[in-house]
Amino acid sequence: MSSPLGQRLLKAADRLEEAFMIVALTFMTVLTVVQVVLRYVFQTGFVWSLEATTYTFAWFVLIGMSYGVRTEAHITVDLVTSRLGPRGARVFAWVALACALAYCALMIYGSSLFVDRLLALGTNARDLPLPRWVLTGVMPIAFALLALRLIQAARPVLFPGRKAADAQ
Amino acid sequence: MTAAFLVAALFVLLFLRVPIAISLGLSAVLTMLLFAEQSLVALAQRFFSALQVYPLLAIPFFILAGALMTTGGVAKRMIAFANALVGHFRGGLAMAALLACALFAAVSGSSPATVVAVGSIMIGGMARSGYSREFAAGLICNAGTLGILIPPSIVMVVYGAVTETSIGDLFIAGVVPGLMLTAMLMVAVALLARRLGLPRQPRADWRTVLRTGRDAIWGLLLIVIILGGIYSGVFTPTEAAAVSAAYAFFIAVFVYRDVGFKEIPKVIAEAAKVTAMLMFIIGNAYLFAFVLTTEQVPQMMSAWITDLGLPPWAFLIVLNLLLLAAGSFMEATSVVLIFAPIMFPIAVALGIDPVHLGIIMTVNMEIGMITPPVGLNLFVTSGISQLPVTKVIRAAMPWLVVLLAALVIVTYVPWVSLVLPRALG
Repeated sequence: MSSPLGQRLLKAADRLEEAFMIVALTFMTVLTVVQVVLRYVFQTGFVWSLEATTYTFAWFVLIGMSYGVRTEAHITVDLVTSRLGPRGARVFAWVALACALAYCALMIYGSSLFVDRLLALGTNARDLPLPRWVLTGVMPIAFALLALRLIQAARPVLFPGRKAADAQ
Repeated sequence: MTAAFLVAALFVLLFLRVPIAISLGLSAVLTMLLFAEQSLVALAQRFFSALQVYPLLAIPFFILAGALMTTGGVAKRMIAFANALVGHFRGGLAMAALLACALFAAVSGSSPATVVAVGSIMIGGMARSGYSREFAAGLICNAGTLGILIPPSIVMVVYGAVTETSIGDLFIAGVVPGLMLTAMLMVAVALLARRLGLPRQPRADWRTVLRTGRDAIWGLLLIVIILGGIYSGVFTPTEAAAVSAAYAFFIAVFVYRDVGFKEIPKVIAEAAKVTAMLMFIIGNAYLFAFVLTTEQVPQMMSAWITDLGLPPWAFLIVLNLLLLAAGSFMEATSVVLIFAPIMFPIAVALGIDPVHLGIIMTVNMEIGMITPPVGLNLFVTSGISQLPVTKVIRAAMPWLVVLLAALVIVTYVPWVSLVLPRALG
């Protein structure tokens, strides 16, 4: 992934991810405020507004999982690793990564089945004119992205020697 | 047995330095695979629906409002106002920092955000005026916990969402305990100031007080909008939160003009980052709580504690000890998510008011914010004060006495929490 094209693609993905997070949060906020204004000033509102907001929220959080990895937002408990040597820390990092990837794999599997079931049902959302499997379909994708980000973030710890090579 | 595995798995994963969110989720998934009949589909469905709980939407909005008010100069003006009010006392700058935390807590729903808003200006300011950096960091790390006690409050939003208690009532109920804790910390600062011979500042004339007050009023109006709006039924807590964010944007860009349009995306991205982190934990805490429920753990614990025949006061001791322990290992919202369903039925059976229980849990979570290994305020304070976490921990510990005293009062004097919600019907 050290080729210029790969780098550029990664950068583009980073920017796309961040843009999505900003747009989604803004959209939810504006839609909710508009709804309040419509209710009181014009005595009206959109039926689909509530559902649009909650689905946006779900997407926002799901994409946010991997965004949080890249921006180092996720919190961990640091009880022992600060006292381990570099070797010990690396062993811990490998085990932790394996656990996190196992989580991603299980969630990808579970959410794929969930989406598949909705696909078979074929029902639409309550107010939005979209099938539910489309709206939930982001879930397995989001967990796959999370797995990729976790691997990406762990690389410098797992292979400390390669860091210098990558930088060049 | 199943529950034991669940908890053991959680601790092993945390110990391995797996992120908290994933530790919660993975221990839940593994437990289900090994012991329970529920399928992974049910867990996936549960996870998705947790991200669609409407009251929880207040969380991103309050975080966004807080971020806009920190960069938008609201915090700065509150500090100036607080300083004009109390700066001339011995230890005045410390008192001003504390008061500013309380003021900012009234517009922010998060404790770490309050620490950042006040601390990033005041820790340096206090250090320049002859306070030790450790003293400043320790005080603000503690005073920042007011963020979740003085309304609005993310922790109360979560408690209200899980137990279906009115979030408006919880917000109002936090006012008196919040003022009480502020006063208690203020007394502690005053006592210390005399002993340590802390510096004072020249007294601000009434014109300065008036001017800084008028400057700060734009921010302070927000709490009126939030509480007034929710209580008069104009909007739901979630809508109130969204209106707060819009209002904060408006004052930052058009009234104070401290931020330009160009900087807004960066502020939103920062809020998005914090929300995503919190909500990832909350979604997984829902999974954890879901497995506990399918295993009937809340019912068994209720039956067990009821069988012990504990009087309410003894139950409250057990409750506080459990919450304090959990609060130091876990992030606040996830503790509330996991413990509220267990403790709620017992408390109701013992005649403890749900709103009172919510405030007790909130004060416990405040203490959790400043107790290692997982004390968010500690990390945030360390980040903005450039002191190592170990030093911040040592600096923050003495103040814990005040917080624990407040916890005892809030726990055993329900009046403190319930006087306002009852008066307002």
